[in-house]
Amino acid sequence: MHRSGSRPQLDLSKAAIQGNFEVKDPTILLPNQSDDISHLALDIGGSLIKLVYFSRHEDQSIDDKRKKTIKERLGISNGNRRSYPILGGRLHFVKFETTKISECLDFIHSKQLHRGGGGAYKFADLFKERLGVSLDKEDEMDCLVAGANFLLKAIRHEAFTHMEGQKEFVQIDTNDLFPYLLVNIGSGVSMIKVDGDGKFERVSGTNVGGGTYWGLGRLLTKCKSFDELLELSQRGDNGTIDMLVGDIYGGMDYSKIGLSASTIASSFGKTISDKKELADYRPEDISLSLLRMISYNIGQISYLNALRFGLKRIFFGGFFIRGHAYTMDTISFAVQFWSKGEAQAMFLRHEGFLGALGAFMSYEKHGLDDLMVHQLVERFPMGAPYTGGRIHGPPLGDLNEKASEARVCLLLLEMPLPLSNTVYIANYLN
Amino acid sequence: MDVKKPASQENLNGDESESQISHLALDIGGSLIKVVYFLRSNGSGGSVDDSGKKSDPVLEGRLHFAKFETSKINDCLEFIRSKNLHLAGFRHHDASASDKTLIKATGGGAYKFADLIKEKLGVVLDKEDEMDCLVTGANFLLKAVHQEAFTYVDGQKEFVQIDQNDLYPYLLVNIGSGVSMIKVDGDGKFERISGTSVGGGTFWGLGRLLTNCKSFDELLELSHQGNNRVIDMLVGDIYGGSEYSKIGLTSTNIASSFGKAISDNKELKDYKPEDVARSLLRMISNNIGQISYLNALRFGLKRIFFAGFFIRGHAYTMDTISVAVSFWSKGDAKAMFLRHEGFLGALGAFVSYENHGLGGLKTHQSVQQFAVSKTYAGKKICCLVNEDLNDNESIDFGVAFAA
Repeated sequence: MHRSGSRPQLDLSKAAIQGNFEVKDPTILLPNQSDDISHLALDIGGSLIKLVYFSRHEDQSIDDKRKKTIKERLGISNGNRRSYPILGGRLHFVKFETTKISECLDFIHSKQLHRGGGGAYKFADLFKERLGVSLDKEDEMDCLVAGANFLLKAIRHEAFTHMEGQKEFVQIDTNDLFPYLLVNIGSGVSMIKVDGDGKFERVSGTNVGGGTYWGLGRLLTKCKSFDELLELSQRGDNGTIDMLVGDIYGGMDYSKIGLSASTIASSFGKTISDKKELADYRPEDISLSLLRMISYNIGQISYLNALRFGLKRIFFGGFFIRGHAYTMDTISFAVQFWSKGEAQAMFLRHEGFLGALGAFMSYEKHGLDDLMVHQLVERFPMGAPYTGGRIHGPPLGDLNEKASEARVCLLLLEMPLPLSNTVYIANYLN
Repeated sequence: MDVKKPASQENLNGDESESQISHLALDIGGSLIKVVYFLRSNGSGGSVDDSGKKSDPVLEGRLHFAKFETSKINDCLEFIRSKNLHLAGFRHHDASASDKTLIKATGGGAYKFADLIKEKLGVVLDKEDEMDCLVTGANFLLKAVHQEAFTYVDGQKEFVQIDQNDLYPYLLVNIGSGVSMIKVDGDGKFERISGTSVGGGTFWGLGRLLTNCKSFDELLELSHQGNNRVIDMLVGDIYGGSEYSKIGLTSTNIASSFGKAISDNKELKDYKPEDVARSLLRMISNNIGQISYLNALRFGLKRIFFAGFFIRGHAYTMDTISVAVSFWSKGDAKAMFLRHEGFLGALGAFVSYENHGLGGLKTHQSVQQFAVSKTYAGKKICCLVNEDLNDNESIDFGVAFAA
């Protein structure tokens, strides 16, 4: 792969979040980005597809034309027209459900994101094949870290704490960002010490992660989805399931060692009772106990690792959190409890897009040129898929051979498309 | 100092051939009640008389151990009553005959069940701090009992020689319903530095919900035949190729416990309980090993002793914990186990009797010696573990009374 001399440069200076603080996955203004960036990044997960793309402000004209037409039709005056700067544009972050990949492709098509060389894009080639190229785990982390670094350095109002329902933005001093601990909670958990741009090391992890929550949750409650499980937890009461200090000490605190009566002594410790069975417990309570158990555990191990390396800041990301308030509160509580208030858990507004964002910015690094397809695909073995019992075939050969003419950075993290979607796309695009 | 007659001597009816009973101690935890009691052997050693002037009065006998589920406390009380163990104990020197007998007890249950026990056995519990007892019990076992601590590597059990002068500091990880991690710096010198709520109660509780097992032991039994790869998502399942070695993982490392159970093709009943039990055991053992190590590292502790009834000498459990500690410490730290793992608290409570003027604990044949407390600096305590062990791993013992 060679670097092209005529490649557009990515100018991230003066990046800023547009819109108010409550908006999820808000666009990021890149006022000094003059070149057109015609590539996009897709992160196709087991349940969600994340898309990051850039649009220049002057290209708004296409949209404006449409808007104008609608406005005219509706009789709305086209009064004060906002004038866009000629330079600059925006990074957009869009999510689709993986089962609705056709909508995603429609979207890409309609925004003409696939522009650049030829016009026809060949996602179909990629998706027709059965997925299976090996993943270079380091590349995945490369993207995560690159995405995190960009967001933390370049954007105000990106990082925030979340405790007891309260969200508070954190001012990051860019000269004091490194080192920090990035905890990515996916199926499993990776803990990455970040020392600088492109400088990081996976220092630890735990096998008790999002997959554990979902897996155990599914076995215990028959929930159909992760979101459903999370939803249940909101109405739960863990007192029927967890053994609290007070349960052991007859209602008292064990104050000598600093444990209050309501501290959980043993998760699921009450369900040892032989008077009740699984069916006698509410799924809401089970879900809450599980969520707490896993969140506290992650918070604890994260803190112990931050302590170990003298890291003051811990950023949590990954699909497990997905902006869920109670999850963030729980992780925050755990970090605060174990650190006796010394450390704080922090989250990122665009946390679900770390990988895609990193991939978006990394096309230079990977030397994409007209070769345009760069992907990191996770191999999925027979019978052990994340999303369903589909069987996938042998690994693909070098997908670069099937380069699309569009500039595409394709990042597939953790979970590939179910086969049925693959077939669907092929049909759709033909 | 006056010799205090054990209350039992005044209360025993009759039969000379029965072993005399002294000292009962209880550790009442969230899930289990641990009982330690001393039975004096017949006609052995010196006897204690009122003058208490004998130079080396030693009651010889054995320490016995028993356990019950806390939910079945009445069974335990019945056991105690049937063996007259509650008649043991001591009285304060200013207590009158009508005062209730005091029995040493530790654990949360010492508070929670104090009233019940008073009602059913007529004894008042003399409460000792749980952490205190755990540490006292651990120190006692490590110093006084031959072949108490051992490592478990590659399926091999190897006893550890404890150098008395190099015992401290160490990390004691007690895995009961929940887990406590205690940094031990000396006799009576310790700090509970951490813990986790993912412990034996979690294994038993989740295990019961998922498999309908009737007991902890049954759950452990099941796990023998299980294969955790059915349920756990391994690193090799997620990432093909060999690049994960760059980040220090192998293909068989577990990436996500229960990660495969998200599949919506299968339900709980489609999984074998053996596999579920094994994954659960692995997950919890691994986790405890990891957190233990991180805490040992934090304080520069190289030895980690695992105690509590979670382990029960189960090979796979010890193996998993050992591997976890070895993995996370890159071989730097060692996991060690104790033969009397679940009885630390009860033993510690038992040993604390001697703070009340009942003399040191001594044997006639010393293997290792150690002083029990400051008060009895001169008194030694040591004992032999009888090689011919019954189920409860009783310890041959001597109880010396202060002259």
